[in-house]
Amino acid sequence: MTNDFDIVLIAKVLPILLQYLPVTFEILVFSILFGMLLGIAIAIPKLLHINVLRQIITVYISFIRGTPILVQLFLVFYGIPALLRIVHIDVTRMDAMYFVIITYTLSNAAAFAEIFRASILTVDRGQIEAGYSVGLNGKQAFVRIIFPQALRVAFPNIANTMISSLKDTSLAFSIGVMDMVGRGETLIASTTRALEIYLALSIVYYVIVLLLEKVLKSNERYLNRYMPKEAVSS
Amino acid sequence: MTIDFAFIFEAFKEISKVLPLTLFMTATPVLLGILIGVIVAFVRIQQTKFFAPLLNFYVSFFRGTPIIMHIMLVYFGVPIIVDVLAKALKLNIQSSSIPILFFVLLALTLSAGAYASEIIRSGILSVPKGQLEAAYAVGLTFSQAMRRYILPQAFSKSIPNFTNVFIGFLHATSLAFFLSVKELTGVANIVASINLKFLEAFIAVGLIYWGVSAIVEWLAHRLEKRVTFYNKGGI
Repeated sequence: MTNDFDIVLIAKVLPILLQYLPVTFEILVFSILFGMLLGIAIAIPKLLHINVLRQIITVYISFIRGTPILVQLFLVFYGIPALLRIVHIDVTRMDAMYFVIITYTLSNAAAFAEIFRASILTVDRGQIEAGYSVGLNGKQAFVRIIFPQALRVAFPNIANTMISSLKDTSLAFSIGVMDMVGRGETLIASTTRALEIYLALSIVYYVIVLLLEKVLKSNERYLNRYMPKEAVSS
Repeated sequence: MTIDFAFIFEAFKEISKVLPLTLFMTATPVLLGILIGVIVAFVRIQQTKFFAPLLNFYVSFFRGTPIIMHIMLVYFGVPIIVDVLAKALKLNIQSSSIPILFFVLLALTLSAGAYASEIIRSGILSVPKGQLEAAYAVGLTFSQAMRRYILPQAFSKSIPNFTNVFIGFLHATSLAFFLSVKELTGVANIVASINLKFLEAFIAVGLIYWGVSAIVEWLAHRLEKRVTFYNKGGI
């Protein structure tokens, strides 16, 4: 590698990398959407203290939080085909994209389950009793009184999960997904200029994270609009 | 294909041999990161001219980009800086002789510094201002008050966050796999490739990471109990 640093190359590869931004967003949007649904589903047995199911879910959440996302990617990538082969379904030719979305969904679900559970528990029990006292049934009280308050508490954590999930998508290339980083790797192979390409990738990630943070922050402010001013620091 | 359970055990034994390296690769960046974090947090709280905006950018950039990028940027960027400096200062250092592990440690340290600084900053800001005033009232200087009153309280409040950072960076060491460092994931991949048993090897390495994370959480929980022993409230 030569010493001269080619700043023009960064400007040149940025538009190429940006073409692959939709792939990154596809992974992000699907894994967050499915992750939230699965997260809510697995938070319920824990909240309702359903015995065996609750313990299985505790182990699942602990495993996801205790292992690197990279190892989870490999486990899904090699594990799901092995599992499906038992029932004679061959998925070895399946697009790597599916494995990535499955991994990030499983990973996000664990995070969201804990967030939902904790945030619902922060809402005072008196609130649901107040709901009953004005004649709401359990479902109405939850949807109209508990859930909006829980969402307000949960939102900063949901935002953090989204942002770290966005950064985690940078590993999808390791099982062969052609996202921004995957395209970057091919550009490195053809230009032999790794530093410039990684700088360009970092810039893209940095800008998206900053934009996403801004959007999430304004949403947070909206959710907190009925709160006293000092509780909504900045 | 069925899962070869005996091989999971074999791989487990083989892979766990490099556990000390992974722990070293985790502890060094986290400890150095806390040192950096204290300095950065102070500069940002004091709003020192020039340095504060610079460090604001440092923290936001490292928190806003994936850790894999930090590793790659350091791995490809630092040698260029080293070579230029060596040439300018006529030093006899060659970037090619620096071990890859050094780059990984440097990248993870810079990254950990950014995360730790935010934790320390929020820890310091969470200590009521009255504590500092109380220290001044009994005649302590600023640095004495910080060392004896504010920082111990800030740290005890930060333990759960530091646990998360430690486990986060334990997991981040798996990224050194991309530079073919022989840490847990790297060795798992080697063991898997030699025997063509990928699933088994990654199950084994998953169990190792999981076990270490669980032990770290348990230790942190005990430590937290100890340091917050005096914080149980007035009555």
